[in-house]
Amino acid sequence: MKPPMHVAKETDLAAIGFAVSPLQEQQQKTVGKLNELVNAMRSLSVIMETCTKCGICANQCHSYLGTDDFNNIPAARADLVRRIYKRYLTLRGKYLGSYVGAEEFDDQTLTKWLTYFYQCNECRRCARFCPFGIDTAEVTIAARHILSELGIMPKFMQGITANMIKSGNNMGIPKPAIIDCAEFMEEEIKEETGLDIKIPIDKPNSDVLYIPSSADFFTNIDTMIGAAKLFYKLGLNWTISSSILEAANFGLLFNLKVMSEHNDRMKEAALSLGAKLVIQGECGHGWRAAKMYSEGVNGPIPFEIIHILDFCALNLDNLQLRKLPLRVTLHDPCNYARAGEICEQPRQILRACVDEFVEMTPNRDENFCCGGGSGILMDEMMEIRMKLGKMKADQVKALGKIDYLAMPCSICKAQIPNVLSHYGIDIANMGGVMDLVGKAIVLNE
Amino acid sequence: MSVVIKGQEIELDEDGFLVDPGLWNEDIVEYFAKAEDVGDLTEKHWKVINYLRDYFKKFGIAPMIRKLCKDTGFTLKEIYELFPSGPAKGACKLAGLPKPTGCV
Repeated sequence: MKPPMHVAKETDLAAIGFAVSPLQEQQQKTVGKLNELVNAMRSLSVIMETCTKCGICANQCHSYLGTDDFNNIPAARADLVRRIYKRYLTLRGKYLGSYVGAEEFDDQTLTKWLTYFYQCNECRRCARFCPFGIDTAEVTIAARHILSELGIMPKFMQGITANMIKSGNNMGIPKPAIIDCAEFMEEEIKEETGLDIKIPIDKPNSDVLYIPSSADFFTNIDTMIGAAKLFYKLGLNWTISSSILEAANFGLLFNLKVMSEHNDRMKEAALSLGAKLVIQGECGHGWRAAKMYSEGVNGPIPFEIIHILDFCALNLDNLQLRKLPLRVTLHDPCNYARAGEICEQPRQILRACVDEFVEMTPNRDENFCCGGGSGILMDEMMEIRMKLGKMKADQVKALGKIDYLAMPCSICKAQIPNVLSHYGIDIANMGGVMDLVGKAIVLNE
Repeated sequence: MSVVIKGQEIELDEDGFLVDPGLWNEDIVEYFAKAEDVGDLTEKHWKVINYLRDYFKKFGIAPMIRKLCKDTGFTLKEIYELFPSGPAKGACKLAGLPKPTGCV
């Protein structure tokens, strides 16, 4: 069995402070780490003990529906860890073995984990439908964390972490390039509006620190421009930080220590700039990490953290928006709708910005993942990624003609255009929600 | 992995990008042009490649896609016609830049 992605080599790992565990230590370390996590996370221990294999999750999982691979059924995927848990961490598993679903650790165990826990998008739709509320994303997070602690991780995750260490963002954009990008966007805004709207960088004594996705400084610049126009209109004293130009927190997706380091980086940047409020940009899992794991893991956090769409929706009455003549739909990023209380806000914003807003079905907390979630954006996994995106493609296709597909998360923005093109679906335009705010907002009157 | 291009051994990463951008030369561009289905290289291709190389030398990273389009005068569609695998995975590879990574 060969994992479907490029795996980081020893020299790659060393560059980010990780090392490969010798083969003979793998079993002991895996069981040890699993024991630590089960003891530390009540949710994980409940998940390990509870599943009755009722099978309800199977047809709710886009990964299983798209790939038709048994191990992508959430209950079966979680069982890859559960069998080891039973064998080594429960009395009945030690003595009764496979009779109670326990399994020996062997030379394929971790390869199976690497293969299948990187076909789970951590979208949590299984948890939405499981009668016991079992959240397989928690198992995926645990399994990926254990793998990385043993020096096993996709090259993609390693490369992003190396960039984060070097430049403070996933893309590896150095500060002079950040300045150049900001100036280019300021010129674009000036050409369009005639106004001098600034994108301040590392400005001391700022009330607000805005943390965009670094992809907003490469492909999705209208998202950044929309945010800059919003802050200008509201007269905010704001800045971005060159030490954390990244709303994404890939640590949540492969190593919990890396996640915590990212949170510390955010905390230090906000404190050094004097910010009382941190506004997170359009990034799904990054919002989950900031909202759910910053205070708990890195607290106390002496400032407020809000999402740009929540902030924008709260300020709708203070904005003048012209309705754009577009038929628009919304793809709910999983980490907003199922993990981040960002559900109605994008709808309120879109209804204020466009002539016609239409829902795809299902939506909100029942929406299907784009298939790229949890950082499954590796090019070498494109064939699997297209299978993971099949349910999303079906949803969009059912809507007929759409002028703009709003997908307010950088992973979704990277994945969905590939998916739609693969399934032959033609949408005129796609991008963030803030992109449309930027186009609808009236600044000159 | 490494490949031999006009007698010189060149190391490529898992995605087929140059490991050492300093080794870039025109023979390598020809090699990548074949690998990426670019076809015969024209003045238009070189305009994009040279722009990317200049930007990379100055800033150590690929430019924003819209800036690339604006400064070279090509639409994104035209860039895709020139480099079928796109500005990031196609044009950057030919220009010897590292592969743009992250949520792209």
